[in-house]
This record gives sequence, structure tokens and C-alpha cells, in this order.
Amino acid sequence: MLLIRAIVRPEKKDDVLAELSGAGFNAATMVDVVGRGKQKGIKIGGMVYDEIPKTLILMVIPDEAKDKVIKMILSIAKTGTDGTFGDGKIFVSPVDEVYTISKGALGL
Amino acid sequence: MKEIMAVVRMKKTGATKKALVAAGVAGFTAVKVLGRGNLVTDPTVLEECKKKLLSMGMDEFSDERDTEKMVTSFLDGSRFFPRRLFTILAHDDDVPRIIEAITNANKTEYGIGDGTIFVLPVADAVRVRTGEAGEAAIW
Repeated sequence: MLLIRAIVRPEKKDDVLAELSGAGFNAATMVDVVGRGKQKGIKIGGMVYDEIPKTLILMVIPDEAKDKVIKMILSIAKTGTDGTFGDGKIFVSPVDEVYTISKGALGL
Repeated sequence: MKEIMAVVRMKKTGATKKALVAAGVAGFTAVKVLGRGNLVTDPTVLEECKKKLLSMGMDEFSDERDTEKMVTSFLDGSRFFPRRLFTILAHDDDVPRIIEAITNANKTEYGIGDGTIFVLPVADAVRVRTGEAGEAAIW
């Protein structure tokens, strides 16, 4: 299983989550975060904004669903045809074990 | 070295904390998050839940249609619920013990919505105070 950490624009989170839910990936956790990327934040006039609000979406998916989910997030979280700085990032980490508390058992 | 991520009910934060301390966990981080789980498709469970929520949500001020709309949106899986995300760093041998402690503290009779525990491998950890790395940084 894999943990997907997707950092997306807050205004895009509803679209991303609705699309994922429609494809059968309903389970997700989200946190409001602030961060900056390679561009060192946004510079407007003399002010540098380096704590830009984003939404972090966490979801654990089976290995074989990885390509599908990532493609889906990429296509929806992108703004404009070529994408824009600040559209976010996706990190993928391995997950050893998953336990559902209510069932007390191993598995998603 | 493993990272344990546990998403639990807001109300169970205290119980989980107590259980973790009793299990001998060195330290943990807790964050408020929003979450939703897998869709519940069993119609009998849904019907029962709906009846219970409707009886709880109605009072002399609320409109029946509004309440029903709200309850339906709660049950169709599109709504996010507040949850607490615990992040715990642990030695490999301690993982089963910690998982058991979290499970026992969070199990309810509802059957759904109790949360999930994820176990992830960790490449390295460093204690800032001493600069110790690896397994020594956990304890």
C-alpha cells in the first residue's frame, strides 16, 4: 500500500476530492497547511509572502491504483493548460501495515 | 524504526493519549484534521444511522426537510468529519503493542468511523538536542 501526500491549492481541494470519490477512493484525510516551494514564495512589490496557504490531502491506496490516482490529482489540481507555479506537489511513501480500528483487523 | 499514523475520533483524544503513555510511548504529535472513510454500503446500517441522527437533530426550531438533507449528506460519504491525527515514532518491536493500545482505546460499538492506523517505514531520525541519529533518537 502507498501513502499519497498531495499538496494542492485550497480552492481545488473540493474538485480533487469529488473526482477521487467518484472513482472509488472515498477515504481521505485533509489538513490546512502553509508552505512555500522552489520559487521561495511570492514577491509582490517589496513584500515576500513565504507562508502560502495550501491543503494537504493524505490518502492510502493499493499499489496498483497509484498511477490512476496520481494522474487524476495531476489533471484536476493543475491550473491553466501548462500549469502554474504554486499548483502543488504529490509525495508517495510506502506503507507497511494498515489497521481499521472498528474491525480490529489488518487491511484498508 | 517505524512511523505510526493514527486517525482517531476527536472525543477519543484524551483516551488515546492515556493509552499511549501507558504503553510506554516516548512522544507523539497530534494535529486536528478533517477526514472521511470508505463508503458504507450496507443499507440496514445506513437506515439505522439515519433514524438515530434524525431523532437527534430535530427540535422545535428546525425544519424537517433541512434536517433530512443534512443527515443524508452526512451519510453519503461526501462530508468530512473532524478527526485527530497522531504521529508516533517507534522501534520495530514496539509497533504491535502500540497498535493494540490505540485499537483498545478507540473501539466503539458504532462499528464505523473509529479511524485507521497506518504504519510507515522511516529512513532516519535525529534528536536536535544531542545530534544522536537512528534508533537512539527515538528514546
